[in-house]
Amino acid sequence: MTAPPTFSRSRSTYASLRLSVLQFLADPQWLVPSLIAPVVFALVAFELFRGAGPYFLTYAILGAGMMSMWGQTLYGSGWATGQDRTFGTLEPTLQSPTPYLYVILGRVLWNVVSGLLGGLIVYLVILAVAGGPPAVPNPLGFALLFVFVMLTLASVGVIFAAFYVYTRFAGFIQNVGEFAFYIGTGCMFPIVLLPFVTNPISLAFPPTWGLDALRYLSIPGYQGLSWGFWGDLVGAVATTVVYLSVAGLVFHRVERHVLEVGNLAEY
Amino acid sequence: MGICMPVGLPAPSQTPMSSSSYAIETHGITRSFDSRKGFLFREVTHTEALKGIDLAVEQGAIFGLLGPNGAGKTTFTKILATLLLPTAGQAFVLGHDVVRETDWLRPRIGLVLGGERGLYNRVNGRENLRFFADLYGIPLAERERRIDEVLARVDLTWAADRRVEEYSRGMKQKLHLARGILHRPSILFLDEPTIGLDPKSARETRKLIRSLVADGVTIFLTTHYMFEAEELCPELAILSKGRIVAKDTVARLRHLVGGDRTIEAEGYGFDDRELEALRHLPGVSKIVTEEFGPVSRLTMRLRTAEVQPERILALLPNHPELAVRERQTSLEDVYLDLVEEEAS
Repeated sequence: MTAPPTFSRSRSTYASLRLSVLQFLADPQWLVPSLIAPVVFALVAFELFRGAGPYFLTYAILGAGMMSMWGQTLYGSGWATGQDRTFGTLEPTLQSPTPYLYVILGRVLWNVVSGLLGGLIVYLVILAVAGGPPAVPNPLGFALLFVFVMLTLASVGVIFAAFYVYTRFAGFIQNVGEFAFYIGTGCMFPIVLLPFVTNPISLAFPPTWGLDALRYLSIPGYQGLSWGFWGDLVGAVATTVVYLSVAGLVFHRVERHVLEVGNLAEY
Repeated sequence: MGICMPVGLPAPSQTPMSSSSYAIETHGITRSFDSRKGFLFREVTHTEALKGIDLAVEQGAIFGLLGPNGAGKTTFTKILATLLLPTAGQAFVLGHDVVRETDWLRPRIGLVLGGERGLYNRVNGRENLRFFADLYGIPLAERERRIDEVLARVDLTWAADRRVEEYSRGMKQKLHLARGILHRPSILFLDEPTIGLDPKSARETRKLIRSLVADGVTIFLTTHYMFEAEELCPELAILSKGRIVAKDTVARLRHLVGGDRTIEAEGYGFDDRELEALRHLPGVSKIVTEEFGPVSRLTMRLRTAEVQPERILALLPNHPELAVRERQTSLEDVYLDLVEEEAS
């Protein structure tokens, strides 16, 4: 018996990313969450806070951008796995030699790219409506950090995707959790306004730190989580590393669980 | 729909690799599910889908698994294909434990579950195959050639660049098959492979299955089509209510259910005296009567060739309307006899 070829992690990840792009291009309905929703969020934020001063406007626009990107980057990754259940592709994909984590990573990477596209659209809309957002003191740093914040969202997306493999009820849980996430990560208003006991939960999410760091970088005199920009950056990196590190373990455990319960074909 | 939970897990195997040369070898495979329904008042239903399956399948052959709906065929197939863990027992495929050696087994196993689901509908057939070729690590230099090859083998080249959502059920079934053989597995599990196919496509699929065996692939086939099993499978097993009720060649299974000759007689009712007389004929192993409105059908299973239809006619002189015909006992007869026997 000849030995079969072995899978490659990078190739499997790329294959998944490529399939995600093809599926996106094949279905125009995706234009709504990825292109139109960010515009709506940005315009609503702009109209609500245009009289509240330039930096308050920046605060709001960043939060609005983050909320729209939640849908694209984080929600999208889990939802695609839910689709795998619905269309019955979860079983053949799990039966292949490639660990499912790499299929998820490919999808998450695509969702990061489309999330960045959403961010760019928000920028263009504000540019068209108001002649541009308030100036950012360090545009290059802001751009790099923005990409990193997308990765922090993606790291949460990977873990959320595991829930979709775990149970067909994950969509319900994620829908319920969506608004809690907006509030808990400080997209809508500063988390210092929340009850103190909820702060540890907020700080467990990498985007909370990432978004706060972005605001430090773009709003002079900003007082956020009180660890300062570098403290936020360290927190964002640390929590992202933790999420990505446990992702492999979580997926291994989840895969074992679904083989035990035999619920892969349920949707 | 309930949530299914396992009832215990198998103890870790001390000797994961089987020393036998069988393609498939199972010892006491059991699989139970607990289905839960309701939110406030949870109702738990315990189901034993498989009840201690012992089976050995030779390498390089087509083995058929027959059974009614809900008998446990798909559950058993999924366990062998590493998609489900058994509750108890051990299963080896190609000599390797399906629970502990999935990394070794998965590149060597092909699984075709079939049906309308299981494909990426928004992209075309070729892209579906490309995705799975990448997951299986088929060398990039070979990938396109291999995809063209399997598409041609299932006669789907003409539709390769059409979206799967435009495919008919039969075309989807062919694409499932193409995906199953894309990575050239050593063993292929086919769950109802010709379901939904037109007669011509079904015949081509059976031809493809035979050609795969000629290439050295072991085929494990579940089917509802008796003629298909009879045509393809030198050996088969019948699964009923989670148990293997018989496993042998078709010829020996005919013997098991009372002989390879069957005589059927249709008339307007047979009384006990007539039936008793027939029962005492030489070689008669079994007599069954069924009612179809006013018509009664008498089915006799015979082990020898001594009794001919003329003798039946002579024993039933009060039935001038009697129509008698003789045929070889079919696999369907065997199947129905065994499954009904198990049910009763």
